[in-house]
Amino acid sequence: MRMCIAFFGLLLAAANACAGERQVSLDWLKTVAFAAHQTDYSGVFVYQYGNHVETSRITHVVETDSEYEKLESLDGPKREIIRHHGQVWCYINHKMVQADSQRGRSRFPSLLPEQLSAVSGNYQVKEAGLERIAGYNTQVILFQPKDNLRYTHKIWAHTDSGLLLKAAVLGDKNKVIEQYAFTQLQIGGNIDRSWVGAKDSAGRGAGLPVSSPETARGGAAINSGWVADALPAGFKKTMEIQRPMRGKHAPVTQIVYSDGLSAISIFIEPDDGDEDDVSGLSSRGAVNLHHKVVDKHLITVVGEVPPRTVMQALDSVRYNGK
Amino acid sequence: MKQEISALMDGELFEDEAESLLDRIKRDSATHKDWEIYHLIGDVLRQPEHIHCDLSAKVRERMQDEPTVLAPRGHAVKQKMRTFALSAAASLSAVGVVAWMSLQISPEVAPQMATQQAALRPVSAQIQPKSNDYLMAHQEFSPSTDMNGGASYIRTVSYSPDEK
Amino acid sequence: MAEREVDQQLVERVQRGDKHAFDLLVSKYQRKLGRLISRFVRDPAEAEDVTQDAFIKAYRALPGFRGESAFYTWLYRIGINTAKNHLLANKRRAPTSTPFDAEEAESFEDAGLLHEVSTPENELMSKQVVDVVQASLQQLPEDLRSALTLREIEGLSYEEIASVMNCPIGTVRSRIFRAREAVAENLRPLLETSKGKRW
Repeated sequence: MRMCIAFFGLLLAAANACAGERQVSLDWLKTVAFAAHQTDYSGVFVYQYGNHVETSRITHVVETDSEYEKLESLDGPKREIIRHHGQVWCYINHKMVQADSQRGRSRFPSLLPEQLSAVSGNYQVKEAGLERIAGYNTQVILFQPKDNLRYTHKIWAHTDSGLLLKAAVLGDKNKVIEQYAFTQLQIGGNIDRSWVGAKDSAGRGAGLPVSSPETARGGAAINSGWVADALPAGFKKTMEIQRPMRGKHAPVTQIVYSDGLSAISIFIEPDDGDEDDVSGLSSRGAVNLHHKVVDKHLITVVGEVPPRTVMQALDSVRYNGK
Repeated sequence: MKQEISALMDGELFEDEAESLLDRIKRDSATHKDWEIYHLIGDVLRQPEHIHCDLSAKVRERMQDEPTVLAPRGHAVKQKMRTFALSAAASLSAVGVVAWMSLQISPEVAPQMATQQAALRPVSAQIQPKSNDYLMAHQEFSPSTDMNGGASYIRTVSYSPDEK
Repeated sequence: MAEREVDQQLVERVQRGDKHAFDLLVSKYQRKLGRLISRFVRDPAEAEDVTQDAFIKAYRALPGFRGESAFYTWLYRIGINTAKNHLLANKRRAPTSTPFDAEEAESFEDAGLLHEVSTPENELMSKQVVDVVQASLQQLPEDLRSALTLREIEGLSYEEIASVMNCPIGTVRSRIFRAREAVAENLRPLLETSKGKRW
């Protein structure tokens, strides 16, 4: 792990050496990348895209090398997401609607070293000043893509812990497409851990569901034979699994490509003619989704990339197996 | 403004630029004349016979008696993909060539192809709640989860006030 | 195709209550639709009325237009129906070789089918307009003329033209505009005069 991080550091140095602009310290970026995993924190943040604004609370604690995280909505219908040990539980109005699990994961997925190095190859990383957010001093870092097939990312990282206090995804002409910003935040100190393990967040004694190998609905790595040719340079395949999905009769193939900062998932499943509207691009903030039926298969592409990229990726999906 | 009319009629403005230009034209009859005359020129080039026609003023008069039509809310116009070729976005033309890498070809020989620098209109159709599962499955493996921590997950359960 | 997107945007504005956006569509398609209707309705004055009718019908029907086809294709059908209904009401038959779709209609050889489509005054006006446009075109610098031709006649996008002419897209945009404006400058006096005429 350490060697890989050093490798990442070296690549960043090489990339930015010629940039001739204010460099972001490599150690610093490393800290930022892992801060959300390593820090105990609890706070309220505002999530915005288009005209949509909503407030939520997030709490994250680290217990003997294992992370617990809870996300609760404070506006609108009551929603809660709990993550722990590679599993995700989703509650809508106190009713558990979904549980996902990636077997074999001991911690939250973190940026693989290859992905970290990819960031420097695909984006220009620049420091863009200092700002105060929710009472904390932050450094602004801009990730500018080298093409217009992906979005610009801008982050405000706490100068002490590296935790992100604010993050934005920008489109053409630096227009804000989506943004998260903490309005209140407590880092470290006494953070409520009563919800961890003992009872579920509704106060009922169910506790976090125990995951056993038999009940875990994980995904299995496969070689599906499906490919997507038209992805922007720098996107590499990071995952190819077959996984159950809620409401689906058969497992769904998911192929994930990433450039280090954004990802595109391609879902392939047999078409059972359910889709009443199998055309049309839709979006939510920085995420764009597009689907169509190809050869009796329903292909769905989801990504934090502009609509044109999602569309072109979808058009290029084809079966290349035996 | 004339230059913008010229770009507008060719479909070479970003949609938001086009919208604001159309707002301005509404208040300015001189620019409507520019639109008319530029279209006339194109028509002459394509089909010079029997070119004279001066309907628009008469139609406009008759339109004044027409009640304003509105598309009823239930009829959502199917959003077709908008493709406006990039206007003179200097910074982007400097970036120039975009490389599409075919995953079938090994990285060393990936062809560098100039793409259609097509800027697509920001999609206004919202992702429906029934697609949340895809978002959640995607979010698991997205670097944004790493960067932003669990906050990114809010996308997967984001609600829309209009849909109830 | 960019063309279709402008139309779609204008249509949506009309559907949101912007009547003026419809004016822009009328200005754009009046000649095309007029020519189409002239295939059915011989008398020039009548044809003009029917064309106006068609536009008004289209305006009223616009809430039902969902963008599945191009706007002009939809308008074209309304034009044909309006013309046919007009003939029926006047107990006349439509010409037998009616083009079925807009594309076919475009490529139809006009010369054979259009008789006395215009009044002599209109014919004269048409000729003058064409002469002025063609003369202005000849006077343009080569690069301006090429850019305009590639756009209006070949139907290329700015990006494609930039590729063909080996110049930045901004230059293409500028050349096309300057070409149009140069021709327009010569046309404006002519058109102003014609508007003053009453016969």
